[in-house]
Amino acid sequence: MRGIEKAFGAVQALRNVDLVLYPGEILGLVGDNSAGKSTLMKILTGAYQRDAGEIFVAGQPVHFKSPHESRDVGIEMIYQDFALCGNMDVGQNIFLGRWPRKGPFINRRKMYAEANSVLKRLKVDVNSVHQKVESLSGGRQQSVAIARAISFGPRVVILDEPTANLSVMATERLLETMMELKKQGVAQIIISHRLIDIFAVGDRVMVLKRGENVGDRYVKYTDDHEILEIIVSGRRENALTADEARAI
Amino acid sequence: MTDEALARRLPSQLVGGWEVGLLALILLLYLSGAFVNPAFFGSSEALQALLRDTSRVAIIAVGMTFVIVNKDLDLSVGSTYGLVAVIFARLFAPSFLDLGILPSILLCLILGAGIGLLNGVLVTTLKVPAFIATLTVLFIGRGFVLALTHGQSIYYPAKAKEYPSFFHLGETNVLGFNNQIVIFALVAVIGAYVLAKTRWGYETFATGGNEQAAVYAGIPTNWVRIRAYLISSLCAALAGLMSAAQDKGVTPLYGVSGELTVIAAVIIGGASILGGRGRVFGSCLGAMLVILIDKVLREGWPITRIIKVGDEEVAVNAVYSLPVGAVPVFLGFLLVIAVLIEPWLIRRQIAGRLWAWLRGRPPPLAYETGGVALEGVQTKGAMATDIALSATGLGKFLARRDALAIILTAALWLTGLSLRPDYWWNLSNTFAILLNYTELALITVGLTYVIAAGDIDLSVGAVLALAGSTAAYFLKVLGADPMTAVAMGLLAGMCAGFVNAIVTVGFKLPAFIATLGMFYIARGLAAWFVAGQQLTGWPEGYNLLGRKLNDILQHYGIRLPDGPLRAFADVVSVQTIWMLLVALVAGIVLAYMPFGQKVYATGGNIRAAAYAGINTNRVRFIALMLAALCATMAGIINVAYFRSFNPVAGQFRELDAIASVIIGGGSIFGGYGTMVGALAGAAVITLVRALLQLNVQGFSMPQHWINVFIGVILIAAVLIDIWVRQANIFGRLRTRHVRGARTPETAHG
Repeated sequence: MRGIEKAFGAVQALRNVDLVLYPGEILGLVGDNSAGKSTLMKILTGAYQRDAGEIFVAGQPVHFKSPHESRDVGIEMIYQDFALCGNMDVGQNIFLGRWPRKGPFINRRKMYAEANSVLKRLKVDVNSVHQKVESLSGGRQQSVAIARAISFGPRVVILDEPTANLSVMATERLLETMMELKKQGVAQIIISHRLIDIFAVGDRVMVLKRGENVGDRYVKYTDDHEILEIIVSGRRENALTADEARAI
Repeated sequence: MTDEALARRLPSQLVGGWEVGLLALILLLYLSGAFVNPAFFGSSEALQALLRDTSRVAIIAVGMTFVIVNKDLDLSVGSTYGLVAVIFARLFAPSFLDLGILPSILLCLILGAGIGLLNGVLVTTLKVPAFIATLTVLFIGRGFVLALTHGQSIYYPAKAKEYPSFFHLGETNVLGFNNQIVIFALVAVIGAYVLAKTRWGYETFATGGNEQAAVYAGIPTNWVRIRAYLISSLCAALAGLMSAAQDKGVTPLYGVSGELTVIAAVIIGGASILGGRGRVFGSCLGAMLVILIDKVLREGWPITRIIKVGDEEVAVNAVYSLPVGAVPVFLGFLLVIAVLIEPWLIRRQIAGRLWAWLRGRPPPLAYETGGVALEGVQTKGAMATDIALSATGLGKFLARRDALAIILTAALWLTGLSLRPDYWWNLSNTFAILLNYTELALITVGLTYVIAAGDIDLSVGAVLALAGSTAAYFLKVLGADPMTAVAMGLLAGMCAGFVNAIVTVGFKLPAFIATLGMFYIARGLAAWFVAGQQLTGWPEGYNLLGRKLNDILQHYGIRLPDGPLRAFADVVSVQTIWMLLVALVAGIVLAYMPFGQKVYATGGNIRAAAYAGINTNRVRFIALMLAALCATMAGIINVAYFRSFNPVAGQFRELDAIASVIIGGGSIFGGYGTMVGALAGAAVITLVRALLQLNVQGFSMPQHWINVFIGVILIAAVLIDIWVRQANIFGRLRTRHVRGARTPETAHG
């Protein structure tokens, strides 16, 4: 994403924002409230339309008009509330809207078998693919949401505040799942207020402030004090990219 | 948000400008009425009568404003109004309890408060959706009115003379106008002051605007909502007492479709059905406008007729009635259109934009939309444990959502058998039950889709009547052939479904308000077509749609040989076969095809479904159309079976059908419901009706009480669904009990 601009009425939400994501990388996107993190991600998925700037996926310029189009090129977003149907079971949710068919009917056997294999691939334990999602705990619901996302075979998964509703245990398990995905070559962007999670699994942190890039660091070469300082007092003029910061 | 700040920021776009417009419209209507018919509208009596009749409606509208600003709805006011008048008559009239005036009034007010409390507790503490709770209370109240009056009027003019201080309230005072106008002015001023200037009012706006935020701000929103229901019911009770004071008697028709008039008045007065907006002054003007329209529609004027009751001459207000049903049709349309005004005209500032466009200026800044920071997350209580997974055998069956309906069906049938063994297991009885069942089951098939998709259709019974009446009209009045009649009936029903679907899906309004409007429109049209009469006598070819198989074969001159085939053809009628066919196809689609899964996904979490690429609008549209189609088919068959059309066809069917789906495992919040369950639910309702009508040792229950009973069943079914199936209250109580027994100290922690 290069030079992204977005305004809502008189409010300039994003000013000339750049974002780079490499394959298999986990990028933490941080910043204060109203920094423009969610807006940037919604532009990436096509939920919002940008005013200016360009988006490239694997070098190709793209113009997503809706989240469905970004999904087609392998960008998946997991919402804070998981966007699952509680009244349906795990298998039905993983294949929500694209249930496998056999003739005019739903191919249940195939659906549950594939749901099982996706869950295995994620190494998460959900008792049964026949369980109703509303009877699962928050962490397990999130596993289902992630399983749903990766069942599309995505290249990029965006997680919006993934740990906000989770217990400590569930957060641990989520981070393990993210590492597992990374191993499989899926790039991930986490929007989070909890730096500790980003430092646990992330490769790189990018800071937004009032709709501008104010800094970018490799997790290996920074610490939470530096990131906090950038969040609080970072300025566009003295922003460094991760490579520049590493060179210093 | 104070009124001044609001007025400064948005001068004429909000309610203020709205009320001026309403006033202008009322004047215009009145002047045109005076121009057309100076004899009526020219006199000062006309104005007074308008104000007098507005008084009672406007008083209820004042209470209703509180409820609607809270984002709730109170459909029970019409029956509360009627019931209070009836109870007052039963308490006060010499032929009944013959109580004094004060105890009578007091008991009536207590009754009003009780109904309000019942509504409030059902809607808040017990979490029943407002429209379903108050609709049921409406039907129960109507049942009580009919049962307590036995369909007769009660008058007590002689005794009324002994208490002039009360009964004078309904009459013209020395200053030359009716005392009810004074009461109305008093209630309106108090209501306006409370809603606009006090904490009670502010709490109401906060609750209606964003209940979650209001809860976080420490507002006891449950109490705020219960309070509004109390105010609404007490206002209705007051209006009922005023009508008693005016007429010194009561007829069972008091307050019929009063809720329509009142809700239309409040919405036209600028309140939003989406909550958080509304003013008492606007509601009062709205009431006046609706009453004025009502009067204009009735083409003229209430006449005062002198009726002799015993030795007494009583002045009774009577009206020239237009074609029966015309008024509810127009008021229903008015309601649907008025509901669209606030979200589509005011919130989107159509007027402001148009004005800016005309002047060539940039359009005014849009209100911030979609930017609610704290949006209530819809939490459907999850089943604490997935019982179905761990259980086996009988346990597995019991954990099914439709288990209740299947068990009840069997239990009720056996009850019938044990009560009347001579009669119950009798071919003609079984046949009669099966026929009743067929009509209900057919409606239920469509409604299952609607409820599973998270919507509701309150108009199914009325659409049934509309389709039947259209078919009958074409057969009898126009002499059309059966095929044309069927086609026209289908067309009429599908038009009704189309309007439902467009208003609900296209204009994004709650389904209950769109279909409530259709409830009055379709029933009104049905009565209008047949001029309120029973139509009968047309070619037998049409009636074959509702005959037994054997009758049809005989019609075509075929004789079956005696034997099992003949016995079968003697019992089963064509509509039962048709119903089973429709149910089978609909059931397979719902359970095994992608469309059915889309319906469940839409009802379960509409945002998730949309994000998953499901066209939720299309799903809901089709579901609503399907419900109308099923009701239409039921209507066409109903006419064929009875060989006539009766305007009361399909009455209370919406109540039966919703109860069937909920008993059969559907959830009023959407996302659940199976065809097997719904059919079993319909069987339960049919059997309950059959059992209650059963003559056991010379005693049988009157029809009015049966409707009351069905209303109670509906509420019970909804409560069981919410609290047992979804919140698993027994499981939670058991857990708490077990935990409490082990460590009493931590039981509350």
